[in-house]
Amino acid sequence: MRETIVHGTDRVWHPDAILSAFPNCVMIVDRNLQPINCSAVGLEIFGVASLADLPEGAPVTCVAPDHRRLFENRMDCAFESSAVDPFDVPLQLPDGRLIYAECNIAGLASPKGEIDAVMVTFQDVTALRNTEGKLDQANSILRSILTTIPDAMVVIDEAGRISSFSSTAEKMFGYEQEEIIGQNVKVLMPEPYRAAHDGYIERYLRTEEKRIIGIGRTVVGCRKDGTTFPLQLEVGEAKIGDERYFTGFIIDLTEKKQTEAELQSLQQDLAHASRLSAVGTLASSLAHEINQPLTAIANYLSAARDMMDGDLAENREFFLEALQESVSESLRAGTIVRRLREFVSRGEINRRKLSISQVLEDATVLGMIGAQERGVKFSIDIAPDTDYVFADRVQMQQVMVNLMRNGIEAMADSAEKKLHIGVQSLDDERLEISVSDSGSGIDQELGDRIFDPFASTKGTGMGLGLSICRTIIEAHGGTIGVEPNPDGGTIFRITLEKAEREQNDEQ
Amino acid sequence: MSSERLVYIVDDDDSVRRSAAFMLRHAGFKVEPVESGVAFLKMAKGAERGCVLLDVRMPDMDGLQVQQQMIKDGIDMPVVILTGHGDIEIAVQAMRAGAVNFLEKPYEKEALIAAMEEAFVRLADSNLKEMAASEAKVRLACLTGREQDVLDGLLAGLPNKTIAYDLGISPRTVEIYRANMMEKLRVRSLADALRIGFAAERGERHERPANS
Repeated sequence: MRETIVHGTDRVWHPDAILSAFPNCVMIVDRNLQPINCSAVGLEIFGVASLADLPEGAPVTCVAPDHRRLFENRMDCAFESSAVDPFDVPLQLPDGRLIYAECNIAGLASPKGEIDAVMVTFQDVTALRNTEGKLDQANSILRSILTTIPDAMVVIDEAGRISSFSSTAEKMFGYEQEEIIGQNVKVLMPEPYRAAHDGYIERYLRTEEKRIIGIGRTVVGCRKDGTTFPLQLEVGEAKIGDERYFTGFIIDLTEKKQTEAELQSLQQDLAHASRLSAVGTLASSLAHEINQPLTAIANYLSAARDMMDGDLAENREFFLEALQESVSESLRAGTIVRRLREFVSRGEINRRKLSISQVLEDATVLGMIGAQERGVKFSIDIAPDTDYVFADRVQMQQVMVNLMRNGIEAMADSAEKKLHIGVQSLDDERLEISVSDSGSGIDQELGDRIFDPFASTKGTGMGLGLSICRTIIEAHGGTIGVEPNPDGGTIFRITLEKAEREQNDEQ
Repeated sequence: MSSERLVYIVDDDDSVRRSAAFMLRHAGFKVEPVESGVAFLKMAKGAERGCVLLDVRMPDMDGLQVQQQMIKDGIDMPVVILTGHGDIEIAVQAMRAGAVNFLEKPYEKEALIAAMEEAFVRLADSNLKEMAASEAKVRLACLTGREQDVLDGLLAGLPNKTIAYDLGISPRTVEIYRANMMEKLRVRSLADALRIGFAAERGERHERPANS
């Protein structure tokens, strides 16, 4: 009900009217801390119809127990006419709800100037505080993420300015958070990327074509001191309103690259050791293999030498034959020695375009040593559309020699000893080399585990041969598998990518 | 020498077989190259008698097996064994089986010719095929205990190093005993020393030492 306040009339105290107009809970409380008046909204909040229905001892008893003392202190301050700053208290409502209220207390002075009552207002800030709390929580989570995340994290806006920079990023790049925030992210990269980076962002904003976002790639970073290092960068995008932010997660690859290099060198050592040991087991066969041409040469030359005593003109033809044969026998021995020397050398891995038939021919020199006297029948069949592979010569030889020796060994007790190598196209991209023997076969239980290190079933050797074969083939982007030979024995199959005839030798 | 002297060259390696044939032909022998032991055994029965230059390392049937089969089949042709590389044990086995001599590849022409000549002497006079046990024993009688020990080791197909170890002396000392033993037996090659040793063993019905 509206009271018209007539101009010029004495102002009338209409506390009820004022209180009913307040949008929140307002209580007038006397020196005994008893409420003597309460706004309509206040009664509504407390869920009561009138002042008399307020809970016993309200408002103090409505304040959560652990905040009562604070509340009473503030009330005392107000009665002593001190100004009281707004503060938050939790209120326990009669219906059991707990709300957070911002509380204001102000002393009310009588015409005599004595404070005989205070006005207490409670404003429900539960929702507000919750939001603030969530924001704070989100902030503190973000802060803790930024300090603890093992990868460096950098957030930039669409102008490229850094808006957050994690602790790991500080360590990684050598900048303090304070000095880097607000700078363009391009300071973290060396030229020529530095100059181009703004253009990258612009291009993305214009075209939306994702070249790195969500893809990740290996790039180079630049520390504060100017040194550079390889890093793996994953970029994500976040839209906040119309603003776009880009988050970058960065992994320092320096150590990884080093580990990879170490691993590669270890594998190289292992492959080399395995070649040496293969040659070690070949030693006696090798000596024999080289003795044969030497024997032939000695035969021809000693015969030729003794012809010198006879009629040279008459013997000319034989003489020529003896010399010609000696030459080719010398070359035969030389071939074995050369292949052997290559095989045991520990050269750098050097991939280039290789003729597959050449690789197999080279491998056969060592692979088939001593096979003839063991009665092994060897056949090879190369499809004409399988010209080239991109591979390291010695390593490919190593794989082939290894498979051939395994096959020959597996046939030691077989009545029929057939070793066959076949090369054929699988499709335009890949070719397959198969090595089949008619030997004892491989335990099916073992399956592909024969490629695991130390899985030797031969009772001799370390069982590294096949695992090294697998390592080499997989490093070449190929596969190696094994299956039983339908005719008895075993077939090993290797797939490799073909090399284009015009593929560069450069890597 | 007459061109009647026939040599069967049994070797699976083309180049060795062809070159040996070339050399022996030009040295005045008649040559019959054969590609394998199996092929030789097939043709040898009822074939012209000659001497056999027999390679040890061959597929299907190695030289020693061919030798054993020759004895079973009664193919009475003197054999000269070719070994791959210092394989003393194989050489000893071949000698035990009655080979005239053994040669290690690559060999000197003179050594091969000498071995073949010796084989043809044996072919001509089958009685000479074996030295009499009595004569062998007389020759061995002049050896000292240590020299005899070394010869026994060699007869068992052991290398110098192993003989030295077994006797508890140095390999160098074994070599000295070995040289003295050869001088006393008036032989120039290990093959000759082995032949005397085996002849004496046969006289004594010696147990054959196990081959390791």
